[in-house]
Amino acid sequence: MKELSFEVNGKPVKVMAEDHHRLIDVLRNGLGLTGTKEGCGEGECGACTVIVDGRAVNSCLYPAMEIEGKRVTTVEGLTEPDNRLSALQRAFVEEGGIQCGFCTPGMLMSARALLDENPDPDPQEIREKLMGNLCRCTGYTQIVESIQKAAEYERKK
Amino acid sequence: MNRFAYRRPATLDQAFELKAADPSAYFVAGATDTLVKIKNGDIEPRALISLRSIPELKGIETGETVRIGSLTTISEIVEDAELAKIFPVLAEAARQLGSRQIRNVATIGGNLCNCSPCADTAPPLLVHEARVKLAGRSGSREIPLSEFFEGPGQSCLATDEILEAVLIDRPAAGARGAFFKKGRVRMDLAIASLAALITLDGELCTRVRLAAGSVAPVCLRLTKAERHLEGNPLSPELVSEAAELAAGEVTPIDDVRASAIYRRRLVEVFTRRALAAIAGR
Repeated sequence: MKELSFEVNGKPVKVMAEDHHRLIDVLRNGLGLTGTKEGCGEGECGACTVIVDGRAVNSCLYPAMEIEGKRVTTVEGLTEPDNRLSALQRAFVEEGGIQCGFCTPGMLMSARALLDENPDPDPQEIREKLMGNLCRCTGYTQIVESIQKAAEYERKK
Repeated sequence: MNRFAYRRPATLDQAFELKAADPSAYFVAGATDTLVKIKNGDIEPRALISLRSIPELKGIETGETVRIGSLTTISEIVEDAELAKIFPVLAEAARQLGSRQIRNVATIGGNLCNCSPCADTAPPLLVHEARVKLAGRSGSREIPLSEFFEGPGQSCLATDEILEAVLIDRPAAGARGAFFKKGRVRMDLAIASLAALITLDGELCTRVRLAAGSVAPVCLRLTKAERHLEGNPLSPELVSEAAELAAGEVTPIDDVRASAIYRRRLVEVFTRRALAAIAGR
């Protein structure tokens, strides 16, 4: 077991982990942050997507031992300080971008990473950048519309 | 869950020492291929040696010869504007590799060392006649990338060697390229891919390089098609003949993703499209 020191959602944390653990194990089991979901464990579905040092990554393929000193954002980090939903999350609710909700944390994190890089993406770019996030329920159209609406909300601020 | 030790050497020497102490350990960088193999039980290493912290393996240097450190992520290749200008074919292939999440951690070194016949960065690097610098305990050596791939999953790396950098000479001024990849869906391994790099002098092809992926045990150059084209003007007849030759040079297999017949046909179609695109510009 080794102690890992890094930052999650703006706060420094120290967690114990074993050599073979993945970041998703540290987040869910070590820190109790179960918002991040394991859909496939193979880097195909994107349900486990989190942001590490500004980059969207599959936490199911990210070795825990590599997280030392890095900044991680999970879906729990999207809510506002007073527990209100962020504009991004509200847009998903309003536009029907959520059905069963299992892909949603990963979709939100990929969307967050996209909007951080490009505050005004067109539908084609949204679809391309979110290719690593699979959804079995919605057919994606409303997810794309949710992200467009979120971009609009954020631009208005 | 597979248990393994995870080691993080800070220098190449430390990495070599760790490997010498445990030759069965796997070198990893982004680990996106290796961890999937472990999950599926294809390999059961007792230890992984991460090369991620080793400085010599990082960075892109653009001189007459461009040096891409093996730890360069696929996203870094996509986002490097200068690299995209010098090697648009490589940048296009990098754009089509996996998903954004994978590209953010997967490395060019890993893509090559994994030695998949489907490796997306290989056909573009082959048409640029890239070389690879291999570093080992007893020194380093440089070999053409075409000699690096020995078979599916099998590179020519010795047990104690790692891939340090990819070296590519800048293409000639009149060189034009194209890249095509077909997967079952956009985010999928290639069922066939093709890279082309051609220098046109007026109507004549003075230099032709074609390479295909997923249609043979390794990514390979299509030398018969190349020789048929070189020194000749790109007429529709020549393009058809070259496309047929290219399709005849590959040895695809039927697998869960596609049939051999379809892959062979894709090589023919991609060759034709690449030549048309290059001639049309």
